[in-house]
Amino acid sequence: MTAVEQPKDAIRILNPDGSVADREARESLDLKEEDLRALYRFMALARQVDIECTALQRQGELAVYPPLIGQEAAQVGSAYALAEEDFVFPSYREAAVALVRGVDLVEYMHFHRGTRHGGIEDPIGKRFAEISVPVSSQTLHAVGWAMGARKDGANACAIVYFGDGATSQGDFHEACNFAGVFGAPVIFLCQNNGWAISVPLARQTAGPIWKKAEGYGFPGVRVDGNDVLATYKVTREAAVRARSEHMPTLIEAVTYRMGPHSTADDRSRYQPQVEIEAWQELDPLVRYRKFLEAEDAIDAAFTEQVESDAKDLAASIRKGIAGAPPLDVREMFDWVWGDLPPVLKRQRDEVASLLEEAGDG
Amino acid sequence: MAERVFNLPDLGEGLEDAEIVDWKVSEGDTVELNQPLIEVNTAKALVEIPSPLAGRIVKLHGAAGDVVEVGAPLVTFEAEAGTPPSAETDAAAAAGQKATGGDGQSKREAVLVGYGVEEGAGAGKRRPRLKPPGPRKAPAAAAEAAPASETAAREVKATPPVRRLARERGVDLATITGTGPEGRITREDVLGAESAPAASSEGERVPVKGVRRMIAEKMARAWREVPHVTTFHTADATHVEALRRKLTGESGTKVSALAIFVRALVDVCGRHPKLNSSWDQDAHEIVLKGKHHVGIATDTERGLMVPVVHDAGDKGISMIAAEIAELVEATRAGKATLEQLTGGTITITNVGTYGSSFGTPIVNIPEVAILAVGRIEDRAVVKDGQVSARPSVTLSLSFDHRVLDGADADKALTDLREILEDPERLGALPS
Amino acid sequence: MAEVTMAQALTQALRHTMVEDDRVLVLGEDVGKLGGVFRITDKLQDEFGDERVFDTPLAESGIVGVSIGLAMAGWKPVPEMQFDAFSYPALDQVISHLAKYRFRSADTMSMPIVMRIPCGGGIGAAEHHSESPEAYYAHTSGLKVVMPSSPIDAFNLLVRAIEDPDPVIFFEPKGRYWSKESGDLEPNGLPIGKSRVVREGSHGTLVAWGGMVHRCLEAASAAAEDGVELEVLDLRSLVPLDVDGLVASARKTGRVVVVHEAPMTAGFGGEVVARVVEEAFDHLEAPVLRVTGYDMPYPPATVEEHYLPSVERILLAIQRTLDH
Repeated sequence: MTAVEQPKDAIRILNPDGSVADREARESLDLKEEDLRALYRFMALARQVDIECTALQRQGELAVYPPLIGQEAAQVGSAYALAEEDFVFPSYREAAVALVRGVDLVEYMHFHRGTRHGGIEDPIGKRFAEISVPVSSQTLHAVGWAMGARKDGANACAIVYFGDGATSQGDFHEACNFAGVFGAPVIFLCQNNGWAISVPLARQTAGPIWKKAEGYGFPGVRVDGNDVLATYKVTREAAVRARSEHMPTLIEAVTYRMGPHSTADDRSRYQPQVEIEAWQELDPLVRYRKFLEAEDAIDAAFTEQVESDAKDLAASIRKGIAGAPPLDVREMFDWVWGDLPPVLKRQRDEVASLLEEAGDG
Repeated sequence: MAERVFNLPDLGEGLEDAEIVDWKVSEGDTVELNQPLIEVNTAKALVEIPSPLAGRIVKLHGAAGDVVEVGAPLVTFEAEAGTPPSAETDAAAAAGQKATGGDGQSKREAVLVGYGVEEGAGAGKRRPRLKPPGPRKAPAAAAEAAPASETAAREVKATPPVRRLARERGVDLATITGTGPEGRITREDVLGAESAPAASSEGERVPVKGVRRMIAEKMARAWREVPHVTTFHTADATHVEALRRKLTGESGTKVSALAIFVRALVDVCGRHPKLNSSWDQDAHEIVLKGKHHVGIATDTERGLMVPVVHDAGDKGISMIAAEIAELVEATRAGKATLEQLTGGTITITNVGTYGSSFGTPIVNIPEVAILAVGRIEDRAVVKDGQVSARPSVTLSLSFDHRVLDGADADKALTDLREILEDPERLGALPS
Repeated sequence: MAEVTMAQALTQALRHTMVEDDRVLVLGEDVGKLGGVFRITDKLQDEFGDERVFDTPLAESGIVGVSIGLAMAGWKPVPEMQFDAFSYPALDQVISHLAKYRFRSADTMSMPIVMRIPCGGGIGAAEHHSESPEAYYAHTSGLKVVMPSSPIDAFNLLVRAIEDPDPVIFFEPKGRYWSKESGDLEPNGLPIGKSRVVREGSHGTLVAWGGMVHRCLEAASAAAEDGVELEVLDLRSLVPLDVDGLVASARKTGRVVVVHEAPMTAGFGGEVVARVVEEAFDHLEAPVLRVTGYDMPYPPATVEEHYLPSVERILLAIQRTLDH
């Protein structure tokens, strides 16, 4: 069973009620007022997108959607801390990170519609790797990219997102070990949302996630994942550490999966309602908004605008997704290799002729 | 305002149906986009479905407790103008046509982003039509034989290429004994079976090859191309018989009556040259042959052959008789030369040899006339009002009616008869 | 006789074997309280307790490796892989140890483990959820590979697999989890390695396993409208392969078409074709054909219908054999 409260060693700047928990940390932040507002705006947009995509799945427009509701601060705070040349390695729940990094969300959601795999056109250009479903497998990719960047003397780091469940997989440990040994400029960002489908944290691992880094020779830190400022801060520090010291960091952002694992999951079988309600009190958007209002950083006009922008974004995703046609399967034969060998050409010709006969050519 | 049907989507990776638990709206309600519509129970979870569009609810398909199939209608809306299209509701219009399979049973269409648990998406696709495999048997065999021989052929061993060969040649594998390893039927076995007589239900089959085949083809062609008419005259053969006996006695060897008929016919051809001609189809000309080469229809083991007495007009009856005997022997022995077997201008056939009185012979193309000579036999004839028995012979002349008319033929035959019945004219023929 | 789904049949098979043999364990991700993402282990933890039915951390290699150890301690683990492609991290444990332990020990011990893997596509799933990896396992000596196509078979084969002292890779065509069949869920003694003629015919044989058996039956119904009677042979297990059953059908009809979802090249269909040609050559009327997935990674859900063998493609292959 996940602890209802945040662990005491989690770094926090904002209390759940929006008041400042760590004044010094707050002052030390390199965020201007427009940044503070941007953080809120991103989180609000992400939440609305999430709600809309869940609805789209229920309406048959998306095949399966894994909601990120409740994890907005962990994703937005960390993503906002990155530089343009940094490279993001997501798992399959990082739509908010994609939003912050400028990835077109219609493009992204086509993964969930079953239009195409990956969700990202031009991952290298966008510095955003394809959505990775096999749990933890992307951690190794991030380390490899970081090693490659370091060889080029690039002033950039990689960040890889994964959940608490991923820390049980072999790939995660191999990735940490490689990162430590090679001094890879990488940030391991674990969103510990308390659940891996139906398996709670206590059944996933016996030791604290952030402390696993010690075994691999680099720092680990635990942060309140529902505190966007704290998440921003630790990620910022990790990025500097990575770029200037070539030292990895493991960030455990403690948050909560407010929705089901995916739209195909029945969480009522295992996720206690009382727990969900308790975490409602720790909602990242509510706490941050209270903070901003207390700081006089936002006004009604701003929140109304954000609400309107969020609805527009949701509507634009609906517009781009609902009723969108499938891609042409014939083109996909060219996606297997660089060239088209005879056996594949024959297969493509077979598909083409079947489509033509059916009048779909 | 357009009516749109919202079908139940697959809510979780391959579900087939869902049970309606609770409607959140009623018919007639106006709903907003994403407003909760209904709660359903799937095999995996309890799920709330939000409205896919804004509009008025026209019909709710089902009540609490009903089980709805994925892809079946859930709600009919009257959509607001400008409602964006969606796969779910637009598919319904198409699904209305495609959802019913050929047997009337509703087949599930692809209702969600390319899904189909049933082959719903394929229901509207082209379906190749098949032809059952043809029975592998000899073509003329009765239909009842087919299943038995089909099964029997499955039991025998024969490699795929050999089976195909058998199919193409119409050979029934079940009737062949294989000479290959382990009794396998070989290619040679199939080819051999093709030419060997095979038992079939309507009787014994005899292959036709070589000479017989040629004769058959020529006969058919002659029949096809030549308008045949046969005219019959009966002649008193008393003097023919007398001459025959006389010449036989004189020469010491048997002189056949046939030789007399040959010489007399040649004589007639001199006065009726059209008898001894051929028809040129392309030039539309009758080619009158100057020489008289008489073919003698001869029955041999290999079939009907026609050796030729060349320049019969230059030969006497005895010589013709000797030559006929020689030609017939050689032809029957298979030793006749090509020259001996070709070049005829008219043919005579002695149907009397086998007891026939008269006949309707087929013209030996490219000739235009053939004379069949019947048996010389005593018949009752009337002369000067008195009936008496006289040796008599019927002459049957078949001719090509493109070249000769009935009058021509009758005149020629009359001429021939007159020679045969006139001892002087008969005696005047070179002997 | 009640109607049961394949999912229910599998649940009952697990229940039955766990009652009969208290050494049987069920382990995997989300198999406990949740009852498995496809509900195959539904309520088993309630019935047998969490010492016998338990969730594992998210680690497939760990699940299989630990199962090997459990087996060596005298238990009979039935580990579940959540989806086909998620079994890949465990391939090293499967190939290097699970398949080889009896051989390595000169037959003094065995691995009585059944690895359950949902497989196959046609359910509109995300990447990595629709694979047909049977060839990788069939190619590994020492493993048995089973794939039922229908509920009652699924029940009997899973019971049998769990009783088997050797490791069995038990594939469950997830597209057929909710398919129904009438029958009793009592063991009928069905052995592993016996194919089944699901539909009799004389003009040609469709050979398939798992989800494609149903597709072949659809094709056979369509062919029957034209007077072509197709036999449908459900292999039921790939290793050991029922060569006698396969050859008998090939001899009977003379025309064979193999159908599978996995890509063509090096797919298990090649093995079937080889066996038919080796043993029934003298009875063949036409080349032995395959209708399979194409040589590409399983495509996005919106186009999977063009990738999977369709009734049309199967009939076109049959047509080729008839026209030969």
